[in-house]
Amino acid sequence: MNYIDLIRQSEDLVTAGMSACQGCGAELCLRRVLQVAGRNTILSIPPGCMAGAGVVGWNFDNGLKIPVHIPLLDNTASFLSGVTNMYQRKNRPDVNIIAFAGDGATADCGFQSLSGAAERGEKLLYICYDNEGYMNTGFQRSSTSSKGSRTSTTPVGKVQDGKSQNQKYMPLIMAMHNVEYVATASPSNMKDMVDKVTKGIQASKKGFAYIHIFSPCPTGWGHETDQTIEVARKAVKSNFFPLFEVEQGKWKLLDNKNPIPVSDLLNLLRKFSHLSPDDIAQIQELVDKRMDLLRKLSAA
Amino acid sequence: MNTNQNRIVAISGNKSAAMGAALSRPDLIAAYPITPQSSVVESLAQMIAQGDLNSTMIQVESEHSAMSVVQGAAVAGGRTFTATSAQGLALMYEPYFRMSTLRLPMVMAIATREMTSPETVWSGQQDAVSVRDAGWIQVYVENNQEILDMIIQGYKIAEHPDVLLPVNVCYDGFYLSHLTERVEIPHQPAVDDFLGVYHADHVSLDPDTPMAVDPLTSGEILWRYRKGHLDAMQKALQVIEQTDDAFEQVFGRRYGGVIDTYKMDDADFVIVTMGATTGTAREAVDVARSLGMKIGLLKVRFLRPFPDKKIREILSGKQGFVVIDKNVCFGWNTGVLYMEIKAAISELGHPISSMPAIGGLGGADISVDQLVTCIQVLVKQGSQQPGQLDTYWFQ
Repeated sequence: MNYIDLIRQSEDLVTAGMSACQGCGAELCLRRVLQVAGRNTILSIPPGCMAGAGVVGWNFDNGLKIPVHIPLLDNTASFLSGVTNMYQRKNRPDVNIIAFAGDGATADCGFQSLSGAAERGEKLLYICYDNEGYMNTGFQRSSTSSKGSRTSTTPVGKVQDGKSQNQKYMPLIMAMHNVEYVATASPSNMKDMVDKVTKGIQASKKGFAYIHIFSPCPTGWGHETDQTIEVARKAVKSNFFPLFEVEQGKWKLLDNKNPIPVSDLLNLLRKFSHLSPDDIAQIQELVDKRMDLLRKLSAA
Repeated sequence: MNTNQNRIVAISGNKSAAMGAALSRPDLIAAYPITPQSSVVESLAQMIAQGDLNSTMIQVESEHSAMSVVQGAAVAGGRTFTATSAQGLALMYEPYFRMSTLRLPMVMAIATREMTSPETVWSGQQDAVSVRDAGWIQVYVENNQEILDMIIQGYKIAEHPDVLLPVNVCYDGFYLSHLTERVEIPHQPAVDDFLGVYHADHVSLDPDTPMAVDPLTSGEILWRYRKGHLDAMQKALQVIEQTDDAFEQVFGRRYGGVIDTYKMDDADFVIVTMGATTGTAREAVDVARSLGMKIGLLKVRFLRPFPDKKIREILSGKQGFVVIDKNVCFGWNTGVLYMEIKAAISELGHPISSMPAIGGLGGADISVDQLVTCIQVLVKQGSQQPGQLDTYWFQ
């Protein structure tokens, strides 16, 4: 089915009353993921923006029309390992077992359980919505915050200049776990995202699948709420967030032959507004090097 | 059923725990090694590899994940088992607290061990007593037979509709985990019959019956969960007694429910124990009586729920007691069990002499002779002075 028809015809499984910020990238992606997954799904959303927005339920009201649980910040993948094993045991492999977790729950304290579940090949789809920080608790840095990011724990001051470390690049780390499926996706490329979520769910019937979503955060990153898709698009077009997938060891990279300069993206975001031309040149170099590595991996 | 047909074997405490778990037929077992528990999950892995046990085993990367995996399986309707010790228990504290507060029944064996620092891997009860306020039922056992029997009873208690709480079966690391004793292995059909099939619908993740498990919960509602949890703990006191009775009818062994006593009727003084020290204390009571001391033994089996009424009844007519703690209660200059008993007797209405005693830390032995000496100190000082005596340290 055409992806536009699929989205038009599929039920929105998020109930009224969810309270994500205006222009939230993660909310849009969550709704689309659930439209692809459908009702025969169990979802885990650890503490973070989407849980805080009430999607996991609030008092006696449910936030989703499907079974949902807020696991601990650091055990989403191991909790779902138990769920999926019981469903295999009950001979109900048709039930989709999906995690929708932020970058803190994925790359920081949840990393160990995620790596363990991937290594064991647990039959589930783990989706990380990466807004590059702990946005729900007030924009603190995480290991996926890009170098140079101004956050509430990497402020810009007289002697410090935002985050000094490089980003931990989760998609490649997960690809190196040799799992069934790994992909990156962006809300700017919705057909691509819908295809990848569909593949990810199929792959989760055989083993572990991981999708890393670039999730612009107008509140934390400092861009206008109607610029979310533009920010995401520029991240893809500048190779700041490359789109690729690894399907049973087969690599496929969306290669921009004529990428836009990374400054076109950075200039949109207040979290980078303190950067000097030299800083931006350094980030450009990091982006180019990563793209070269991905090209080599995809060519192999 | 004819209990004479049961298989009699000589096995370690860890093997006994594994066999108790296997007889309870868990759907899913999480395994992660830690001294002195490791051979529990090794034995279970071996049974599964041989095709003797049809459980799903997940080899996790930490105890935190061990408790998380069984939590996921329990929310999906499964009966689960795992085992741990000391640092492993500390690492799993976060999902451990959540297991009980989600009201998910399961059984976890704890081969109890001293906590680091100083760096140690040897016996003690500091690990298990430190999590006494995390909402689990905790039973402390005396010998290898009781390990196996209480794992089976543990599922019966945990899954009772009035309880719905997870159970720790705690046994002294090395002293029981690595000690070989005679154990009777019940027949599988009898255990199947005794336990029945676990069916969970109070909390579950299933697309056929969509539920938000653990939505964000405000203070106006949260207290109801805690009150319900406390109520279930109190109901468990009854369920524990009923389960002990039912177990005796089928398997021919009973343990006395929440507590057990030895030579208590005419005793003036009491030695209170919890765990494997109880066996040594039975000998010490015999020796002390031969020396003319009227001493009895109180074995506290359940630390949670705490059997305060029963303990009060036992101690009400006595002159004094000593509590042997293989742990410390930081800030009170006593052990944990002593503080619990002190709270239980606070309503007696008359003074009674009591002596906190601490020993067996980090695997140190507590001998019969040492216990007899301790009893002598209790009888001498307790005859002269009511109230709390100086803390006695086994050196």
